[in-house]
Amino acid sequence: MKKAIFALIFFTSFLFPPQIFAQDSYTISGRIKDINNGETLFGASVFFKDTTIGVITNEYGFYSITAPKGNYTLIISYMGYVDLSQEVTLDSDKQLNFEMFTSSEELDEVIITAEETERANIKKPEMSVSKLKSETIKKIPVVLGEVDIVKSIQTLPGVTNGGEGTSGFNVRGGAVDQNLVLLDEAIIYNTSHLLGFFSVFNADAIKDVKLYKGAIPARFGGRVSSVLDVRQKDGNSKRLGLTGGIGIISSRLAVEGPVFKNKGSFLLAGRGSYAHLYAGAIEDALKDNKINFYDLNLKTNYKINEKNKLYLSGYFGRDVFDFSKNFESSYGNLSGNLRWNHIFNDKIFSNLSLIYSKYDYEISINSMKFDWIASINNYNVKYDVNYYASNNFKLDFGGNAIFYDFDPGQIKPTSSTSPINRLKLDEKKALETGVYASAEHKISKKLTMEYGIRYSSFVRLGGQPLTNYANNRPVIYNSSLGIYSEGIAIGETNYKDDESIKTFGNLEPRLGLSFQLTESSSLKAGYSRAAQYIHLLSNTTSVTPVDVWTPSGKFIKPQLSNQYALGYFKNFTNNTYSLEVEAYYKDVENRIDYLDGSELIGQNNIETEILNGESRAYGLEFLLRKSKGDFTGWLAYTISKSEQRTLGDNVEGPGINNGNWYNTAHDRTHDVSLTGIYKLTDKWTFSSNLVFQTGRPVTYPNAQYQYEDITTASYSDRNSNRLPAYHRLDISATYTPNNKPERRWKGEWVFGIYNVYNRKNAASISFGQNKETGINEATRTAIFGIIPSISYNFKF
Amino acid sequence: MKTYITIIFIGISIFFTSCTDVIDVNVPTADPRLVIEASLDWEKGTSGNEQTITLSTSTKYFEKIESNIVTGASVKVTNDNDDTEFIFIDQNNGKYTTTNFIPVLNQSYTLEIIYNNETYIAKETMTPVVDIAAITQSTEDGDDDEALEVNVIFNDPKNEENFYFIKFREKGGLLPELYNDNDEFTNGNQMTLRYEKEEDDDINQEEFKPNDVVDISFHGVSKGYYDYISIFIDQIDAGGPFGTTPVPLRGNCTNSSNPKNYAFGYFRLTQVIKTSYTFQ
Repeated sequence: MKKAIFALIFFTSFLFPPQIFAQDSYTISGRIKDINNGETLFGASVFFKDTTIGVITNEYGFYSITAPKGNYTLIISYMGYVDLSQEVTLDSDKQLNFEMFTSSEELDEVIITAEETERANIKKPEMSVSKLKSETIKKIPVVLGEVDIVKSIQTLPGVTNGGEGTSGFNVRGGAVDQNLVLLDEAIIYNTSHLLGFFSVFNADAIKDVKLYKGAIPARFGGRVSSVLDVRQKDGNSKRLGLTGGIGIISSRLAVEGPVFKNKGSFLLAGRGSYAHLYAGAIEDALKDNKINFYDLNLKTNYKINEKNKLYLSGYFGRDVFDFSKNFESSYGNLSGNLRWNHIFNDKIFSNLSLIYSKYDYEISINSMKFDWIASINNYNVKYDVNYYASNNFKLDFGGNAIFYDFDPGQIKPTSSTSPINRLKLDEKKALETGVYASAEHKISKKLTMEYGIRYSSFVRLGGQPLTNYANNRPVIYNSSLGIYSEGIAIGETNYKDDESIKTFGNLEPRLGLSFQLTESSSLKAGYSRAAQYIHLLSNTTSVTPVDVWTPSGKFIKPQLSNQYALGYFKNFTNNTYSLEVEAYYKDVENRIDYLDGSELIGQNNIETEILNGESRAYGLEFLLRKSKGDFTGWLAYTISKSEQRTLGDNVEGPGINNGNWYNTAHDRTHDVSLTGIYKLTDKWTFSSNLVFQTGRPVTYPNAQYQYEDITTASYSDRNSNRLPAYHRLDISATYTPNNKPERRWKGEWVFGIYNVYNRKNAASISFGQNKETGINEATRTAIFGIIPSISYNFKF
Repeated sequence: MKTYITIIFIGISIFFTSCTDVIDVNVPTADPRLVIEASLDWEKGTSGNEQTITLSTSTKYFEKIESNIVTGASVKVTNDNDDTEFIFIDQNNGKYTTTNFIPVLNQSYTLEIIYNNETYIAKETMTPVVDIAAITQSTEDGDDDEALEVNVIFNDPKNEENFYFIKFREKGGLLPELYNDNDEFTNGNQMTLRYEKEEDDDINQEEFKPNDVVDISFHGVSKGYYDYISIFIDQIDAGGPFGTTPVPLRGNCTNSSNPKNYAFGYFRLTQVIKTSYTFQ
């Protein structure tokens, strides 16, 4: 920790050269808001016309722009809003707040963009960022008619997931646990409801979403693949409003409005599925089963004065399964965040956050009379400062500390006749800290750099016993049988509460460059190094809600990644089209994988079930977008490779898969997505979505034999085969009845068909004997065939 | 118990699943290997002198098995303590038998098979089994609270790690039902292993009804065999959406002449209780 503080002081003093303050320059600062609901706008462009001086508003709508004394035209622009322009005489520091008009009367609440427009932003060094704008997200056809942010992001290059019915998403060949998912800065451990059918983000409560696929800014740390930064709406500060929707699976309702005598606003949004309706549609055999989910989003803010503002936000989501009373399970996230925005002066903006988040699951198996519970809790203190030093230099710096408490599992017998003994796996505690400084520096008219550094450290705290192993090897290899097994335990070391088991520290440099080739094209390059201290272990085909998060420590090292990216960006035909081409290479050290036949659930010594390894991924991404006119859309194509090798460090033996490189489960050679939206009239809009992906790597049998009167398969090397290619076409139509502008009630109908040609995409293929004939067969499980849907959305 | 939790999620995914169907898949083919089913099971209360070892070879996954029996191998088992040799005689139908085996509890034995000029070796220890306390039937336990199930109840000994393997086979049924369990979470308690059939039209399966008969073999097994049979059972229908990723399964039979050409199967030595139950 001391080291970290030194690092912070060092970087800030280094990056704060006093000569940056030009003598005859002045600053305009303020906040940009939506005129209708008072929501602050993140990512609006604020610039002086005919100059290169410009900035983008931060997460809280704040901007600060500095220029030499003179007369300027200040332009504020944001996609979906009417540009504002104002003449300013810059002869003193000024504070100007602006409110923008939306350019359309469409029902439009999600703003999935953090940039001025969706087309390639050619000047900022920022690259490898995925964004989609609001109307677009709502128009992409989705299964069962639910607007889903996570699924929409998958239509962009470099983002895939494990297939229908799987949780999470994969970015540039990375694993699900390598994504940092933040909801109002709180870490979300499980992004899906109903095992991946819906994302946990209620579109009515979300203001904006940004996905960093690489070149992750230094203010983020803790995951090696990507950051999905989701921000909740502040709530309408102008008037009380209702938003909602009724779909075939779930309904949602949000209420928002001003509070505290117009010094603040609030938003309360809820969403729930109809369990009985769902279960009723299923065969009689499953009639006793219940399955449902709900979530609740809360946000409120209070403006103390012009310089100080408080925000409180919370999220609670839960999935509940109940199978014939014999098995009940529930799991979900809970998070809360208290924030204090403080503006020191017109150039320095700061934010302090206190964040809590929790993920837990509970399983009751009544036939065996026990409950199984597990959780991960964290407490996070975070402080960030934006310093708008001059018109060509902006500095962000700050730090955070996260305290983790992992409770990997407890078994409680539920009756005195239960066969199960009470058991509690060792709780694990850890402290993760990070400090960073990051500068955006306009070096010349054509060259802009973003450079930063993060120092992260991780202390695995004591308060638990740890098993010692002979030769310090938690896993041993039996060379004659050719199998790995757990190491020989030789007693325990009991670590006291104030002792640390292991400490790690890593410097994580981040660099981005943007070189403007012409007025409409640029080349960008990026490098980022990142450390990840907690790991999600799974040996199942898909990530499940009971997979175990485990911290680095004596036996498990932090994952360390390097990512290099190079991109070409061009806007053409009067900014109607944009083209983005990016190439990346990423390697990750200390990527662990499970041993053949490992048991991860209820395992106190997880180190005996895994081997240390590495992974690498590389690819080329294309994105061609048309963002103007009645017809808009994009074509995304990615060709990539993602593989891993697990040699097992100091453990003898060849490693997993004989020490050869093998495909990760998220390797997709080709990934194509074509999305088109056509506005026919003011009432009707049509859209479609065509997806093609190389099949997921799986393990197929390569022989059969008889044993114990059963014909069994012998399987080939891990992930050496593939499922058939995945493809489907979806279409949807949105009908907006004639809404008179003076009417407050605004509604729209969304009709959709998912998987129009009813392709039976294999979610998995299992191999076994036919129970009647005994003959071997391959059984395909396809989750969704053709699915029509209808939903009604409203706003009042 | 652990696998039970993952099985649950398979159940959940099936709940959503609108469709499963049988399809043609091209699978790779590996060279054939020797398959050793050397299950020396000593039925409690008998002399255990009659034993059979079955040898075969593995074949292409989707090939109809015509003749994969192995004849002409030499098969013997040695008591590691007193070097007594038990020669198994080739019956020319893939089976090798002896009538003079002497089982000794907790005694280690070595299997040696010479086939195609290569020598296969395996070592294992004869593992005892506890008595069955009761066999009952019920409807309220199991996954379906209306379907009949048979419960095999036994008392796990304290102060030791125990591993169990049970084989249920319905009279007239095509395939046996295999389960394994250990006492990691249940040490010293009364434990139950149960078999329930759920109605399934797709495979013409009905629930148990009165007068149905189930044969039961209840084995005490070694930790090595438990680890092996866990994976084997997991992989009987492997590859479902939340199932464990299938892996190449290796038993305890090594090839000392050509280590890469190891054999499938296992050399197990277990004490077993065989009985049957008729539903009331």
